[in-house]
Amino acid sequence: MKLLDIVELLRSKAAKRIAYGALIILIIVDFIIPRHEIHFFGDKIPGFWSLFGFIACVLIIIVSKWIGHLGLMQDENYYDE
Amino acid sequence: MMSEIFNIQFLHPSVLYILGGLFIPLFKGKVKQGYMLAVTLLAFFAVVVMPYGTYGIYEFLNWKLMFGEVDKLSKVFAYIFTIMGVIGVIYSIHVKNDGEHFSSFCYVGGSLGVTFAGDFLTLFLFWEMMAFSSVFLVWFRKSPASIDSGFRYLLWHVVGGLILLAGIIIQYSVSGDLSVQHLPFQGWWPTDLISLASFLIIIGFIVNAAVPPFGAWLPDAYPAATVTGAVFMSAFTTKTAVYALIRVCAGSEMLIVLGVVMAIYGVVYAVLENDARRLLAYHIISQVGYMVAGVGLGTPLAINGVVAHAFCHILYKSLLFMGTGSVLHVTGISKLTELGGLYKTMPRTMIYTVIGGLSISAFPLFSGFVSKSMTVTAFSEAHLTWAFMALMLASAGTFLHTGLKIPYFIWFGKDRGIKAQEPPLNMELAMIIGSLFCVGLGIFYKPLYALLPHTVHFEPYTAYHIWESLQVLLFTQLGFFLLLKNLWCEDTISLDTDWFPRKGAKVFIWLTKPLARIEYNFIGEIYEFIIQKPIMGAAKIFKVIDTVVVDGSLNGLGKLTLSMSRKMKNAQSGQIQHYAMYMVAGFIALIIIVMVLP
Repeated sequence: MKLLDIVELLRSKAAKRIAYGALIILIIVDFIIPRHEIHFFGDKIPGFWSLFGFIACVLIIIVSKWIGHLGLMQDENYYDE
Repeated sequence: MMSEIFNIQFLHPSVLYILGGLFIPLFKGKVKQGYMLAVTLLAFFAVVVMPYGTYGIYEFLNWKLMFGEVDKLSKVFAYIFTIMGVIGVIYSIHVKNDGEHFSSFCYVGGSLGVTFAGDFLTLFLFWEMMAFSSVFLVWFRKSPASIDSGFRYLLWHVVGGLILLAGIIIQYSVSGDLSVQHLPFQGWWPTDLISLASFLIIIGFIVNAAVPPFGAWLPDAYPAATVTGAVFMSAFTTKTAVYALIRVCAGSEMLIVLGVVMAIYGVVYAVLENDARRLLAYHIISQVGYMVAGVGLGTPLAINGVVAHAFCHILYKSLLFMGTGSVLHVTGISKLTELGGLYKTMPRTMIYTVIGGLSISAFPLFSGFVSKSMTVTAFSEAHLTWAFMALMLASAGTFLHTGLKIPYFIWFGKDRGIKAQEPPLNMELAMIIGSLFCVGLGIFYKPLYALLPHTVHFEPYTAYHIWESLQVLLFTQLGFFLLLKNLWCEDTISLDTDWFPRKGAKVFIWLTKPLARIEYNFIGEIYEFIIQKPIMGAAKIFKVIDTVVVDGSLNGLGKLTLSMSRKMKNAQSGQIQHYAMYMVAGFIALIIIVMVLP
């Protein structure tokens, strides 16, 4: 199988379904995985890091875009004018 | 006699790089390529065989210059710098411009010189040499934008260097000691002369570490550099600064705050950025933020984490710059809004870049996982929860941009039908070596841990740690695909702190215009009336004496001076590039003189 075929396979609908399944398995297993040396409150809560990852991603995108549109993003010729 | 020569334990790798670089123009074609590779490999082996100790001590005026302070810390940085030298030279071996090769050799030599410097004077010498040689990697792009960008780059570094020098001078005048030593700075503001010295030194260092608000030079200059120059630049300047910070400023608490801010700052700007290489430049700032924060914490685990992270970072960040650089080399495009659909024509380059992306995101089995987590764990163990959370947030952002946004918008996204093919063989070879290191270090991390300055009691591959990382990363990925429409790239540039000097210069010129008019009209007339007229009167008398007595005797001398200056004027081109070149030549001459003279 060629490299290109593998890439096409990863883009298929089936691959997407497997990925969603993996996310669910991630959360389920987090309920039973052994924990050790806990320093942080979030480490006691099952699924904490799943939620953290998702919220972090959404926050970063929305807040950054908001800050950017406050005036940080300018036309490419900004400094030449 | 022979045994003495072959018994040399310490051969300074900077000498190999700088002197070796001088001979590059003498060779041609394949011989030149072989020669350059041989020099870099020799420098690596010089580091491998180097035993711990202090070497290369020279008395210079009243000072003791120490060129070779070898301990665990300097050796591990020298390892990665020389490894990176080999990879960088392979990637750039096709470049025809000897000047560019020489610049990168001096640049690598400079950073190795800083690494082994035992006194601040030597450190400063090589510190400046890095700035003055690396600026050519920007200028050799030869576009008007990169010429401007190079000047700004140089200005930032000259200012930073002067602040560092001021700190060094105060340190010397207070303590009479120039040796590179631990001078941590506590608080936010200097209270006495001793703390002023360490304050100025820390500021000088963090300008090179690109800590905001002094970091705007990095995303300005790196994307403006040549394809191959940016690969070198991504590796050396900031990491040399991290090394200097570990040596001198470990445990300075302000670095924790600055580092965490930096980690987030880089991520925010990466969202806004449209140029692939500038996005990566902002992620250097973000990643160096972890290191700066770790240096501020200063515990053995944190310092180990910083060193390991710097080691891995150089490899995966250069890999990312090589991947996006290859796209720029082949297509001439680096803007994400103009790229897309390259997975059919450049699939292998995509694989290498994704490996770099997974490494920087600290995916299990990749190099970032065994290094970044050490620093982050140090914060969790120190119960600095806010810093820990912020760094985890920045980790999600890292994966979002470097692991997802860059590959998606270059290789997938909208197919724009760009004609492309895989890059030249040498570029691909360098990417393969980089990829092997990234995966290899992720799996066989024990040899790296053995190189770290403190004994390591850290195991990255525990079930929960793997699970924690996978959750953060894969749910970030979910967020990415759900918000893909909001993450569209916009064809803009982002204002950074260099707005102040750049716009400030314009305001300054605008302000001085009316001042110049007042000067011309008002002050000019007073000047003419009070000073010029009486002087002119006196001058007439002197002129008579002058023409009769003095001129005759001086005419001969004048003719000599004239003919001399006709020859000298060729050296004064008025181009700062030439002056910078003289400066580098001067540094090299100085180093040679100091080393050769008994």
